[in-house]
Parts: sequence; structure tokens; C-alpha cells
Amino acid sequence: MKLFKKTLLAAAVLSSAGAMAKTTAIINADIHTATEQGVLKNYSLLIEDGKIAAISNLKLDADEIIDAQGKIVTPGFIGSMNQLGLVEVGAVASSRDGNEKKGGITFDPSLAFNPKSTLIAYARKGGITRDVIAPSWGESPFVGLSSTVNLSGEFGTSVVDSQNAIIVNLGGTKDGSRAASLAKFIDKLEGQQTKLEKKSDKKDDKAEPSKEEKLLTAALKGEKPIVVRVSRAQDMLELIKVKERFGIDLVLSGAEDALPIKAELAAAKVPVILSAMANLPGSFDSLNASLTTAGELEKAGVQVALTIAGDSSHNVYQLRYDAGNAVAYGMSREGALKAITSNVADIFNIEDAGSIAVGKAADLAIWSADPFEISTTLEKVMINGVAVSTESRHDKLRDRYMAESNMPRAYTK
Amino acid sequence: MQRFIPSALVVAMSLGLAACNKQAPQGEHVSINKNPYPSTYQPYESAELLIKNATVLTGTGERLDNADVLILNGKISQVGENLSHASARVIDANGKWVTPGIIDVHSHLGAYPNPSVESHQDGNEMTSPNTAYVWVEHSVWPQDPGFNTARAGGITSLQILPGSANLFGGRGVTLKNVPAHTMQAMKFPDAPYGLKMACGENPKRVYGSRKISPSTRMGNMAGYRSAWAEATEYKRAWEKYDADHQLGLAVDAPERDIKLDTLRGVLDGDIMIHNHCYKAEEMAMMIDLSKEFGYHAGTFHHGIEAYKIADLLADNGSCAALWPDWWGFKMEAYDMVQENIAIVDAVKNSCAIVHSDSDTTIQRLNQEAAKVMYRANENGFDIKEEHAIRWITQNAAKSLGVDDKVGSLETGKQADVVIWNQSPFSVYAKAEQVFIDGAKVYDRSDEKYQAKSDFMLGQQ
Repeated sequence: MKLFKKTLLAAAVLSSAGAMAKTTAIINADIHTATEQGVLKNYSLLIEDGKIAAISNLKLDADEIIDAQGKIVTPGFIGSMNQLGLVEVGAVASSRDGNEKKGGITFDPSLAFNPKSTLIAYARKGGITRDVIAPSWGESPFVGLSSTVNLSGEFGTSVVDSQNAIIVNLGGTKDGSRAASLAKFIDKLEGQQTKLEKKSDKKDDKAEPSKEEKLLTAALKGEKPIVVRVSRAQDMLELIKVKERFGIDLVLSGAEDALPIKAELAAAKVPVILSAMANLPGSFDSLNASLTTAGELEKAGVQVALTIAGDSSHNVYQLRYDAGNAVAYGMSREGALKAITSNVADIFNIEDAGSIAVGKAADLAIWSADPFEISTTLEKVMINGVAVSTESRHDKLRDRYMAESNMPRAYTK
Repeated sequence: MQRFIPSALVVAMSLGLAACNKQAPQGEHVSINKNPYPSTYQPYESAELLIKNATVLTGTGERLDNADVLILNGKISQVGENLSHASARVIDANGKWVTPGIIDVHSHLGAYPNPSVESHQDGNEMTSPNTAYVWVEHSVWPQDPGFNTARAGGITSLQILPGSANLFGGRGVTLKNVPAHTMQAMKFPDAPYGLKMACGENPKRVYGSRKISPSTRMGNMAGYRSAWAEATEYKRAWEKYDADHQLGLAVDAPERDIKLDTLRGVLDGDIMIHNHCYKAEEMAMMIDLSKEFGYHAGTFHHGIEAYKIADLLADNGSCAALWPDWWGFKMEAYDMVQENIAIVDAVKNSCAIVHSDSDTTIQRLNQEAAKVMYRANENGFDIKEEHAIRWITQNAAKSLGVDDKVGSLETGKQADVVIWNQSPFSVYAKAEQVFIDGAKVYDRSDEKYQAKSDFMLGQQ
């Protein structure tokens, strides 16, 4: 990686100060666009005002030139359905803000997003530049709202788009019947639809709708996706019926048992967010979990996004390895890239990121080779055209304990 | 011993050994069966095999390009170039990689099986801080589908451990990863038992929340020390009994205690310690604890901060079985570094291990090792594949006390072998064929060799 004209540090200082007048070009790159354009070999791209201003096979001139020397440029990856910035240490209750027992449909954890969390710099090591944070549980099937954040680590500007989807948990529960949860979900939609129909009859009704009513209305108009965590095939088929009845923008998450109903999912145009690694029958709801699910869904025509199973907040950096494993078990390379970039953006209506195209935010990663391969090094990450560091607290600890020093470690900083 | 048996007395007296106890005759010597649930494992039928033209990582630190592995009678017969054998079936492994069978020293398969329903929570006897009397083998459900998925990832041996709720969680067991419908049929013959101990947050949280000891880290240490003190007395009592009996004395055997049997097994060097312990200062104290009571501190599992005391671990001859990158789920897991295993490994006489503690990552222990190798190499290390493979083969075997049997491709070792489609350090690597004692137990391209658990049979 050769830098001309300006040092990295200077570039970072300039841009963080808001002086975006200067332009940056990345030249001699293999650009993996995550669009219909596919891979553009030996191309250049121009960054201006934090956005991609041009993509060309001609040499582009700019204030700063980054020679990629034939290396791979991808869109920054987008994690989803985790609690990045909402949790510091899992077992430390006061550092957890992602869930609210009685939160319900209006619960918006993004108000608690901490851009200074140590998880964020760590996640950047995996080329993650944005993330969709979402509550994971609550008493009601409606557990709250998701939001899109960027991983710049900056105060004030990190939450890019709040309340971008309604998150619902359905399926087998310890108490009572899954039928009751599903009915509760349907009742909410039905109730709001009835209200809207009555309202259109009575034009004089000027009562301001509640927050919940607004959210449900947006969902019924198909403007706000409803992401349902669910595993069993039969439950997913019921949800397809709900989608058809109410016209909601339905997204399924988890979906371990999707394999036997891939055709139905494709026909109903329901996107699926899943872990490529989920292949064990963790419950009676996921007996068909398989390493081949992501690839099979892709081939069937389902829009697939990949997420991390387990502690997806601390481990979201691993997304590229999960994508590689998805490829090993049948997903196309291009499909796997989209599954961690443009498909996530599409599902959560993130219009300005997730692919490399003119007008999109310059959220980019430069890789020494195949970004999914474990041996590959992440050479550079940019968010809104600004190079961001991948150094985290972990590196500081490593350096402290590997340093040669005659003094106690505490003096190595 | 009150019964009067003239013949025994006459015999004893004639030997001149009962001089100090003329009143009572000597009873039969009481001894404790150390192996009441013996292995019934029998290697499956194996063929004579010659794997040709592979890149071979021997597990001893060597890489042989374009090399052959000859397997006869379930054992590694020869490893080298241009081998031939009159009757062995030849497998052309050109372009493929061959490694020893992968060994996971930390698994809960069978004890916390899939599906993870309420009835299957058999890994933690959370009823007392010292449950050294439980043996996890008595919880193992051999039909856990996770054994099969792990085998497809090249896992040929694994240690099942009880959980970490207790200071002493109970005995672990080492298994051969063969499909079977009894635990005994999986049990690794002649592998030593392990004893699970746990430091830190888990025991003090579990018992502290019930207002019983331990509720603090100092309570944890007091709990270990009391137990070892008791075990020391128990050992002394039995040794005295054995010695007195040997002298022909009519002595009563001490009262049997199966908890203390296990702890005594550690003091006698028969049972190896496997210690869940994250933090540097705690591992350092556990080493002193072992010296205080005269046993070996064994392997530290999950040591997130092992890199801070790499020298100490190597000096003590302790292995460290670690994750490449798990972190942050509790305070004691906060100081993770991605180079932990590499730093521990870099010290002379070290024993660094990549472990899973997971039904998911056990399927890709090769990729877990790869993450460590490549991330460390980005930060000043120069670790090669032939070295890194030892973290999941030879070093793991050493930790389990089975390194004389498995963990490397050396003449005479059990033929636990994996053929990979490419370097196992690639994200695209797949185990194509897996052998245990020379018998094929998995073949990716032949359904006949893909075992299915009873539980999965007939499911839709």
C-alpha cells in the first residue's frame, strides 16, 4: 500500500474536522461492487465528500492517491441482528442495554448506543463498517426496533438510521403455546388495519396516533420491515400467509429450518437472515439446520443475509469467515459478498451503503487477497471516505505483554 | 476385624508378621476398583491403506510434501516418500493434505447434547461446590448428533468435561469419536481420567447467589484447599491401611468416599487436572495450590490471560487450552488478545492448544487454529502450518495423557488420520475422509460412511 501526497493521519484529521474538500482516489484495484456490475478488475474509484464520486477503468486524479496494487476492494461489511455498542461485557448487567423485558414494539435501544465501546474497533478488524443493532428478547413477541449504526466510533453521528425495522420473536417457547404468540402478532396487525379502515371513513378524526399505531401503520404500508426471529418451517409458512394477508415487508431471521420450504420462501419474496454455521438440531424447531442452507436458498432465489450465531456482538468481526464457509458449502462468491453487504442494506433500507456505486457512502475495505480467506489481511478500512483504525484494546494488551521492558508491564502504555 | 478365622491367624503367625496384633486375624485386603466402567471400544474393521502423494503434517512439527502414509493393522506403519506395499489399498491424495486426527480437549458433547432441551442438561451437577464424585461419562448420550458433525470436521478424539459451576466439577472422560450406542464403546482405552476444576466467576456466582460458600474468589481458594487437605488425609489413611495390611496387621480399611477417591487419584498422579481458569493471577495461584498439596496443576482451559504468564505456564509444564477469539461475555474474558495462543506457544517447553468448548467450532478446529496462526503472523510471528497443527493434535494429546497413542503420524501410533481437500488452514478446507485406528469412520463423498444419530433417524 503506497500513500502519496498526504499521510494517513493528516487525511484522518482533515476529514474528521469536516474539511471534505479534498478528494481521494483508490487506483489499480479489483473492485468487488456487490452490484450487478460484479467484479471490476483493475479499476479506480474516486471519493469526494465521503461518497463514491466515480468508478472508472481510467486513472483517476485526486488530492490523495491510494495505490491498491491489484488488491481487492469491497464494500464495508454490514453486521446485523446483534447488540454492538449496546453491550460491553455480557455478564455485567449495567453494561447491557439491548433488551427491555417490558419494552414492546416501541422499545428503541439505539438511544443507548455507545460509539466508544471496545467492541466497535474490534469489529472493524473484520472489515465491518455498519451494523444493524436489534433487541433480542422481551416478554412480548414484539421486542422492539432495530437501527443502523456506523462503526466510525464517533460521538453524535454513529446512529445513521434509527427505528428501521420492527423486531418480533416467534416459535417455540418455554411457557404456553407458540400459537398464542403468533395470534398476538396477527391481532396487532389486524387491530391497526381495522383502525385505519375506520379512519378513512371518518375524515374528522384528528386524534394523533400513538407511537405504536404509527409503527404498525408503517408496517402495514410495507414501509417498515418486520423482522421475525423464527426457526421452524411450519411457523415460517404461517408467516408467509400473514405477509400475503397484510402486505407487510416480512423478513425472517434465524430460519434454521428454511431448507424444506426454500421454494415457498422464494415465491413469497421473503428475505432470510441466517447463520451459515447453524447446522445442529438445537431444538425441535431446527431439525433441518444445515451448512448448505445459505447456498441452497440462494440457488432457489431467496435473498440471503448472513449473521453470526451465538455472541454476535463480540464476534461480528468473523462475518467474513462465515461467508467463506457459506461458499465452501455451495453459496456463490458473489452471493456471499452480497449476503454481508448489499442484501443486508436492501433488507434494512440502508440506501447509501452496502455496495460500491456512484453516490454511495465510501464505506470500503481493502484486502490483501480473497476477503473470505483466513490468511487474508485487511489492509485498510474507510467509513464515509475516512480511513479508520482497526487497532483495539486487544492490540494494546498484546503489545504491552510482548514488549521488552525492565519495568513492570503497567509502565508499558 | 472381629471375626476369628483360625487358619488365617496360623498363616499370619507363621509368617511372623502379626506380632503386634495377636488378638485379631487379618481380613481380606480391601482395594478400590479404579476402572469400574471399562472401555468396550473395539476398532472397526480396518484395511491396509497407503495414502499417496499428499502434503503431510505429521503433528510433530514436520511438513512432508508429496509424501505417503502407510497404515497397517490400524497403526501408522510408515510415513515418507515413495512408499509401497504389496497388498495395501492405495488412496491417491495428490493435492490433498493429511494430518493426524484432530483432538479437542474441551467438549461437552453428549453431556450438553443437541437438541438442547431441558431433559438434556446433564453437564453441570450444580448442587454442591465440590462434586468431585460425579463422572461426566455417566451423563454422555452417545446419540448426540454433535459427535457426527464433529467427526465430519476431522475430530477423532475428544475429552468430555463437566461444566464449570463447581470448584470441583467431576471427572472428565476421553472418547474416541466413533459412532456407538453406549458410552463405554466410545471410551478411549487406557486414557487417564481428568478432573475438572473451575476458578473465578462461575463457582462464586452459582453458590454466592445461594448464600453459601464460595461467594468470592478467596472463598474459591479456601474451597480448593479444604478439599485437598481432606484428600491428603484420605490418601494417608489408605496408604497406612495398605502398608499395615502388607505387614499382616488386622486393620480396618478406611471408609470409602467416592469424592475423595477422585481427589486422591489426582494426588497419586493417576488423574489429570483440567482447570477452567481465565485470569493470570488465578492461574498463578492454582499452580501454587498444586505445589502446596503435591499434585500437578495440569491444563488450564479458557485461559484468556494465559499470554500474561506464558513463562510460568511453560516452567510448570502446564498446557493452556484456549480459544482464538472468544471474549467479552464476562469480566474474566475481557482481556482477550487474538495472539494469546501464539504468545503462549512461543515459550520454550510450552504446550499451547486450541480448544472448542462448542458443538459448533469443534467442527472447524482447523479454522480456529488458522485464525490464530494468520492473525499472529500479521503481528510479528512467523508460524507455519506444520507447527500450528500441533495445537490441535500433538499438544492436545499431551494434555490428555494419550500422546503415546495418538496426536501424531509416527510409526506405531494409532492410525487416527484425516485427509483434507486442501490445506486445513483454509476457510474452504473440508475433511474428506476420516480414519480412527485405521478404520474409515467418515467419507464426505460416500453416504455409507456418514453416521446418523438415532435421534435424527426418520425426522422430517
